[in-house]
Formats: sequence, C-alpha cells, structure tokens
Amino acid sequence: MTTNDNKLVTTRRNVLFGVGAAGSALTTGLTTARAAEKQGGQVTDAPVSDKTQERQSFYGLHQAGIVTPRPAAGMIASFHVLAKTPADVERLFRTLSSRIAFLMQGGTPPELDDKLPPADSGLLGPVIPPDNLTITVSLGSSFFDDRYWLAPHKPARLSRMKAFRNDALDADLCHGDLALQISSNTPDTNIHALRDVLKNLPDLMVLRWKQEGSVPVLPPKPDGTHESARNFLGFRDGSANPDANNAALMDKIVWVPENGAEPAWTRGGSYQAVRIIRNFVERWDRTPLGEQERIIGRKKATGAPHGGGSTEHDVPDYSKDPEGTITPLDAHIRLANFRTQASEANLILRRPFNYSNGVSKSGQLEQGLLFICYQADLEKGFITVQRQLDGEPLEEYIKPIGGGFFFTPPGPQDESDFVGRTLLEAAGHDVVRKS
Amino acid sequence: MKLKLVLSASLLALAAAALPRMANAEVAPLDLVQPIADYKIYVSEHAEKLVADTKVFTDAVKAGDVDKAKSLFGSTRMSYEAIEPIAELFSDLDGSIDSRADDHEKAEKDPEFTGFHRIEYGLFSENSTKDLGPFADKLMADVTELNKRITDLTLPPEKVVGGAAVLMEEVAATKISGEEDRYSHTDLWDFKANFDGSRKIFDLVRPLVEKEDSAFVTKVSGNFDKVDTTLAKYKTADGYELYDKLTEDDRAVLAAAVNTLAEDLSTLRGKLGLN
Repeated sequence: MTTNDNKLVTTRRNVLFGVGAAGSALTTGLTTARAAEKQGGQVTDAPVSDKTQERQSFYGLHQAGIVTPRPAAGMIASFHVLAKTPADVERLFRTLSSRIAFLMQGGTPPELDDKLPPADSGLLGPVIPPDNLTITVSLGSSFFDDRYWLAPHKPARLSRMKAFRNDALDADLCHGDLALQISSNTPDTNIHALRDVLKNLPDLMVLRWKQEGSVPVLPPKPDGTHESARNFLGFRDGSANPDANNAALMDKIVWVPENGAEPAWTRGGSYQAVRIIRNFVERWDRTPLGEQERIIGRKKATGAPHGGGSTEHDVPDYSKDPEGTITPLDAHIRLANFRTQASEANLILRRPFNYSNGVSKSGQLEQGLLFICYQADLEKGFITVQRQLDGEPLEEYIKPIGGGFFFTPPGPQDESDFVGRTLLEAAGHDVVRKS
Repeated sequence: MKLKLVLSASLLALAAAALPRMANAEVAPLDLVQPIADYKIYVSEHAEKLVADTKVFTDAVKAGDVDKAKSLFGSTRMSYEAIEPIAELFSDLDGSIDSRADDHEKAEKDPEFTGFHRIEYGLFSENSTKDLGPFADKLMADVTELNKRITDLTLPPEKVVGGAAVLMEEVAATKISGEEDRYSHTDLWDFKANFDGSRKIFDLVRPLVEKEDSAFVTKVSGNFDKVDTTLAKYKTADGYELYDKLTEDDRAVLAAAVNTLAEDLSTLRGKLGLN
C-alpha cells in the first residue's frame, strides 16, 4: 500500500516537474496561485515579524536590558525568594542564569516522554526564537536583610522604597526580594520567559506581583534617525535620556564604579528603581493643550522645549529663563533635571513602558507608566529627582501605586559564570566555576 | 468481603482502560491494583466520616446552635477536602456541596449558592442560623448521595494517581490566598486535609516509584514534610489557627512547597506509565 502511494506521488511529481513546456507552465501557474492565496491570508494566520531572530548577549560586565534599546514589550515580575542558605541561593542564581541564557539564545527544549508534562509551555512553538529577549535580574533590600550572611554585603544605597508625597502605594504591588525585568519584541515572548522561570524554580521563588507594559511602535524614518516613544499622556518620554551608546557617560551615570563607597562585588552593576504610576488619562484628555504643555514643559507634537527649538533634542536654557516665563519653574522637565553642572550628578537612565490594566471601580481606565530607571547611585539618582518633583502640578494627573528599589548585579562573564556570583564570593561562599 | 469487591472493581477499571504503555518506569499495570484498592478504602472511610460529621454539623445548624455549628465547620469539611479529586468526579454534587460565592453571578444572594460555604456565610458573616435550615438539609442529602455514589464507583487509576497533583493544583490556584473559607478563615484545616489526601496517594504508589527514581521520592517527601512542619506551627488544641495568623513568610513557604509538589506530582502518572 505504502509502495503504491509512493509510486503515485512519484508519478504526480513527474507530471508537475516534468520536462516540456506544458509541465513548466503548469508548475508556474500553480506557484502563482499559491502565492496569491498566501497574500490573501487567513483570519487566524499568525502576524509576521522579521525580528524574531534578533538576539542580545547575556554575557558581559553588565547585565543585558539596561543600555539595550527598549523593545516594544516589557514586564517587571517581583518575587519572594525562599532560598536562605548559601547553597540554595547559589542554586537559585545558577538556575536563573541557565534559563535566561537558554531563553535569550533561543533553541529547542528537550523532548520528553509524552506521558509527562512537556518541558516547555510551547506557546512560541517547538523552536523558541530569541525575539530580542533580555531578562535582567535585580535584588531587593529584603534579599539582603533577611539573610544574615548577606546583610553585611548589601549595596550601600539600597533601601526599601518609602512612599513619596504623592504616592498611594498598594502593598500587593510593592517591593520584593528579587525582580526580573523581562523585555522583548512581543508580549508573548515575555510571558513565555516568565512561565519558563516559574516552572523551573517553584521551590525557590514565589511570584508576588507583575506589571506588563508596551511601547508604541513607529515606522522607520527615511533619514535613519530615531525619536522617543510616547507615554500614555501623549508626550514623548525619554527625550533628555543620556546617550546609552556613550560608554564613558554610562560609566558615570549608570554603572557602579570600582572605587567608592560600594562593596567591590557590585562593580558593573546598577540600581534599578521601578514605579507603577497610574495616569488619570480621562482627566488629562480634558485638560487644555496649553496647560498640558506647561505642566510637562514641552510641546506635545514635537517634544521640543518651550521658547524655540523644533525637535525634542533641543535643549532648554534655563539660565536665560530664571523667572520661568518660558518654561514654568514647576514644569515636569524642569524639576526633573535642572540642567546645571551640579545636577549632572542626578542623571538617570530611563527605560519605561506604558501599561494598561483594566477599569477602575469608578469606570475609569487603569493605565499609566511602568517607570523603570537605572543609576549608579540610587540616592543621587531617582530619590533626589523624585524629591525635586514632589509637589509638581503633574501630580493632579498621576498617582504612583507600586514598585520598588532593587540592585542589578553585574553580568555573567561567560557561560561558566552566573548572575550573583560576585555577591556569593564576597560573602565567603566558595563558588566553583563550571564550564 | 468488602476488600475483595473493591479489588475486583479496580481490576475491571484497569482492564477497561487500554493497557498503559510504560513511560520511564517499569511498572506493571497489575502493580497498581493493590494501591488503588487501598485508596478506595481510604476514600470510602472518608466519605462515611463526612456523612457522620455533616449530620452532627447540620443538626447544630438546624437547632440554632451557632457556636457549636461554627466550631464544627472546619473539621467537618476535612473529610471532603481529603478526597476532593474523587468527590469532584461528580460535578453536580461538588457544585452544590463546595462551590463558593464567586462561582455564582449573584454571589452570596444567588439561590444556586448552597452547601458548606453558604452555611459558612450565614454562621460567620451573619452570625446566625436564620434561614439556614433548608441549606443544612440539602447539604446532608448531598453528602449522603455522594457517599452512595462513591460506594458504587470504580476508581479510574489515572484519576487516583493524578489526584495527588490535582489536590496541589487546588491549593495553588484558589486556596493559598485564603479565599476558600473567606468567612470563617479556617483555611488551614482545608490545607491539612488537601495535603494529607495528596500524600496518601503518593504513599500508596511510593514503593512503585522508589525503585525507579528514589531522588524523586526523597524530594517529594521532603516537601510534604516541610508543609507538615509549617502547618504544625499553627496547630491548636482542637484544630488550626485562623488563616490571618499565617505569617507572610510561612505563606510563601507553603506556596513554594505547593508549587513544587504540583510540578513534581504532575509527573507521577507518567512515572507509573499511566496516560
């Protein structure tokens, strides 16, 4: 029977790909018809992306996902960590690192007996694409405080986030022993990664909260330049961000330096501040444009500062505007960055995502900004900037409800290394580098 | 006599299912006969205890004895929670015995909301037995019917073995939050029963798995022990502390143990060659 079938197929193939004009014409006609069919597409066809093979490296002095250009989809997931002993913490760090290495590289998960649950959720198909994924591991203050052997090695500036003036923090959306920042080209890739981590570390980590977010996608510009994405207030967000391609600048602003008040193991790491900032978008949309622009300190359409300039990259000169007649003294961008020599110490690298969750009990949209920023010094960076912002007119339209402060350890050097190794070694735990 | 009947029933169940292909363990289908027969006895004993305890509980409700009814609520439910994977096979009864207010569109006011949690709502939220009489009668009738159906039931092996994980999934999905017994906060009683029910199944098939994968057995037992140790901290003279006494840390310990047990026990069917 099988043989006959094969014969039949062979015969048909001979016809289809047979010699002669007739056969040729037939083949061409068929191909065209198929192409047309494809172009039409079906309702449930998967959307197509040519970016699924984009890949970031997990290895280096710094963890990926900090100076990495922000992709369209991001997430913060916060965990309670069960690992208490050095051995368990090492297993946590090693397992996390090996999962992250695999997920960021992409590949085929092991095939198990079909009587067992599959090794992978399968939601990205049998071969996992990297899709520009980064997973950035950070540690909360409690991670050190709750482990006596780690407490002496806590980063000098790491504290538990305290409520600022305008905050209405929800305990169920705050803090955590360990946070993962997961970002990639698509939300599904992030969810796949989170599920993988949860499945592989059930005994050492329990999920406490998570917030997903997105960034609006823009078409490429003909001149190859880039513009900052917009937040849910409709304003460009990140225009004044320091240049992440400038390594010397990043050494100054983002990375914990070698010499300083910080323990040596933190070198190459960074402080991460996360804030879930609800935006009252209905009210914002009912605010006159001029007032919106005065509150922010920029033109809404272009992102240019007030008083001349046509692009978001133009820099306001506050020294010529001491009274705030051009940019109000309490405008958001003016309070966030004084643009003086002294205020350079307070620069931060922002990497936020917009979030949208549902509807409040009052029937308003629950959406806002999943604010994430990185800095070499949490006190001089986010905490100082936020204190400057306390009382700003924008507060009428925003309400921080969650988040936390974390420290992002340096990156793993190579495949024999893992995130958190330098901390374990500093704590006197003997770590064997496996290759 | 009874044991013999149970045994033949289980044999039939095994024969009815296509002989399972072996996954990674060399477990002969007949090896499962005895554990399943033993489990049937465990289930029957709990069903009978459920009927007896529910009688005392519903009598107290109907007599208007709020305090006595309250004191019996946590312990009465334990027999049900321990055998939930089997009890749930009868979805009509599971709905009327153990559904929660949020399973119903009109929540506590929904006429379909009956059973343990409806009575719990009256006793603990309204501190009264007023209007609970019909719910008490219905609960008594339902558990009696459940017991009868269980007696007649042939236990499907994959449901029994899979039940160990199902109990952990229940805890992980809806109980670790303390939402199950939201009026009485007797959740730790349920936890204990769920864990005991899961461990019973594990212990019954343990000798079959141990030969193939002793590390697995050690790990699972270790997590069951961790749960027992944690729950023991909340033991009182006549049961368990209220759920709000559970510290954040211990809740995380339980959550991690439940998640890990759910992961590990999800492989139990496959390890025994069951589909």
